[in-house]
Amino acid sequence: MRRTRLAAAVATLALLGACSTGSANDTADAGQPVSGGSLTWAVETEPITFNPHLYAQAKARLLVWNTFESLLTHDSQGGYVPWLATGYEVSPDGRTYTFKLRTDVTFSDGTKFDAAAVKANVDQLLVPNYAPAVAAVQLRNLDAVEVVDDATVAFKLKAPDVLILDFASSPQGAQVSPKSLKEAKNLKAGGPELAGTGPFVLDRYIQGQEVHFVKNPAYNWAPANAGHTGPAYLDEITYRFLKESSVRVGALTSNQVHVIEGVPATDEALITGNPALSLQRGLNSGSAYSYYLNVANAPFDDLKVRQAFRAAVDVDAVLTGVYRGTATRAWSVVGPTSPFYDKTLEGTFGGDPELANKLLDEAGWTTRDAEGYRTKAGKRLTVRLVQNAPFVRDRRDVLAQAVQAAVKQSAGIDLNVALVDQGTATKALADGEYEVFDNSRADTDAGAALNLLLHSAGAINRTGFTDAGLDGLLDDAQASTDTAARTEAYRQVQKLVNDQALVLPLYAPADQIAASTSVGGLGFEPTAGVPVSAYHLWLSK
Amino acid sequence: MSVASAVLRRVAAGIVVLWAAATAAYLALLAAPGDMVDSIIGDGADTPQIRAEVIAEWRLDRPALVQYLDYLWRAVQGDLGRSYLLQRPVADVVGAQVWPTLKLAIAAAVFGSLLAVILAVAIRRPWARRFSSTAELVMVSTPPFLIGIVLLSVFSFQFGLFPVSGDRGFAALVLPAVTLGLPIAGLLAQVLRDGLDRALDEPFAVTARARGLRERSVLARHALRHALLPAVALAGWTFGVLIGGSVIIEQVFGRPGLGQVALQAVSAGDMPVVIAVVVLAATVFVVVNTLADLAGLLIDPRLRRS
Repeated sequence: MRRTRLAAAVATLALLGACSTGSANDTADAGQPVSGGSLTWAVETEPITFNPHLYAQAKARLLVWNTFESLLTHDSQGGYVPWLATGYEVSPDGRTYTFKLRTDVTFSDGTKFDAAAVKANVDQLLVPNYAPAVAAVQLRNLDAVEVVDDATVAFKLKAPDVLILDFASSPQGAQVSPKSLKEAKNLKAGGPELAGTGPFVLDRYIQGQEVHFVKNPAYNWAPANAGHTGPAYLDEITYRFLKESSVRVGALTSNQVHVIEGVPATDEALITGNPALSLQRGLNSGSAYSYYLNVANAPFDDLKVRQAFRAAVDVDAVLTGVYRGTATRAWSVVGPTSPFYDKTLEGTFGGDPELANKLLDEAGWTTRDAEGYRTKAGKRLTVRLVQNAPFVRDRRDVLAQAVQAAVKQSAGIDLNVALVDQGTATKALADGEYEVFDNSRADTDAGAALNLLLHSAGAINRTGFTDAGLDGLLDDAQASTDTAARTEAYRQVQKLVNDQALVLPLYAPADQIAASTSVGGLGFEPTAGVPVSAYHLWLSK
Repeated sequence: MSVASAVLRRVAAGIVVLWAAATAAYLALLAAPGDMVDSIIGDGADTPQIRAEVIAEWRLDRPALVQYLDYLWRAVQGDLGRSYLLQRPVADVVGAQVWPTLKLAIAAAVFGSLLAVILAVAIRRPWARRFSSTAELVMVSTPPFLIGIVLLSVFSFQFGLFPVSGDRGFAALVLPAVTLGLPIAGLLAQVLRDGLDRALDEPFAVTARARGLRERSVLARHALRHALLPAVALAGWTFGVLIGGSVIIEQVFGRPGLGQVALQAVSAGDMPVVIAVVVLAATVFVVVNTLADLAGLLIDPRLRRS
């Protein structure tokens, strides 16, 4: 077996982690870390569930790691750091991943963490009707989990799949006490009755109002890149659910909360103009927020029309108009913080009305109707974007209107935007009644997002594009444990997507944290790019 | 007719209303585009395997009529089912949220009615009436969302008099109750003032004044009674404003409550929760209207005869 040289890697990474978090922190204001205190953080999103296995909201990720932990965690370079595991080995055929586990860990209900607990968690995930999305996507190549000894567990795979490491670092792969798995009355809802190994214990949840955590004093197994060891600094932390952004900002400026998450561009000036407050922005992992063009329908079955659509949008101007210069433009379907991001795509498309018009002329859309839209054989050049209202965030509805105006003005394309309820949106997608599909995914390994969005068997493939070459590249990249080989495969995927003009990438989703300068340790989780858990935070006296 | 049979008829009518409300909610969700499986899957990964598991878990393969009858049968036995979205018993989800909303609704109703009576009775001078009338119109026509944000900005963010969020003691109830009560006060004050003006023109008012009663007593003892009737008849409308308003108010003020639960359930197609909230709202509606009828009898002796 090939031994992964974790010890050396960890030391390097801890160093790197220290450097990267050091620059993000406002340690100058909050001073040296101090223990004690009670912090209040206003968050935008109330989680649908507190069971990490069923985690589906990137905005809830900062809560997960307070109570639960995984076998590994991500560093900021696309690698992994041991957490509840001390290391892992991969068999040469890539079909067995063996994890060595820590032996000094207990769940907050007193249950010991061991190989049997890991197996109990994975077995639970495979129980029918429990977590169908995890079983069908993240664990689709898993054959079985075997307990080798108390401190060793082996994941046997049906096919080589490096993404199993991503699973082992994900909230869905987090370890819940086997006792809770057996006894919890509302296992799928989670909450106080689910015990984890994390630095905090969830002791109170008031639906619609807040969730409260207290420090776990016995905690002593933080990963090497956490910045400190031992129990958390804070005695307790309360997350209040404030859905209105202006109310969150008001609560912060009036000192009713210490930290807020989710600051709209329009309110950033209120934070940056106040010396007692600080603002940080972090880019999320996964795929960029993009428009996927449906090649199964006219007019996007024609490459030239797809290229023209992409050329017709001056993305920078549109983003500046909607987000006042706070958005980061995306150039690839892969998010810019991913190690797989292909930087050479930058500046290769968009904002070229002349090209757009030339391509449309060539494609036969030469005439215009009374409203100025292009037509061909009496039919208007219309493409439909259906937005699912409950999932619209970051003012993506306003962004769609800006794109709509841009393509009309520069190339006479009619982008028909419909903001509809979930049922209508799902029906439109199922019936193929759309030409543009908008999406961003927060997967920590961008490959996981690409598998869903671009693979011909992908569960969210809305482009209708099927290509054996593309599938092969994605499959190879998933099977390989060699980062360089994966990077090359994903570079070719991005090139193909770009050549085919399948996607119009718009911006890289980001999270914002605004806080009183008395709060120290704030920053963003390596790779995922979402706000850190409460373990890192302290409150200066 | 005996009192018992009148009560019985009332209860029977109430049950029919509840059944009709539950059925209407069920049919509305059934008629909405997309099916239950889509709602449960949301915008996540969607494969035949995932769909099959969802269908099996919630037994959605049965005909709609069977599911409906099964739901009714279990509801009669007190089992409201489980939330598709939140994975908890509906009775827990809704039960925990009833009191915060009720508290808010009662506080807003009391504040709104008191303010309305004060505005209508105390402000009688022509110039003050014109001013008050304009203010009432503004209250009625301003969206509660805006009222809430403005009140928060001034009294919470600027002066720090009240906390912004949650269901935490009386102080946290003040701003939401005022926000929700102002539109009610605005409309009720207009109705009351109109009723008072009319009553004061009636011959009995002249008689009362002729007996030497002071204008204030005529107003409070005689005219107000007449003016109250149309205001009480608006109880159903008031209740509608309170329930509808609570959705927005709870969101703005970060309060727990039925409004938020209902909004989330409707947008996610969480049928068991939607039906429970609708039935609960219908129950309160029936109770409120019954109370309003009784209050009418109390206020106006003429109604008791018929």
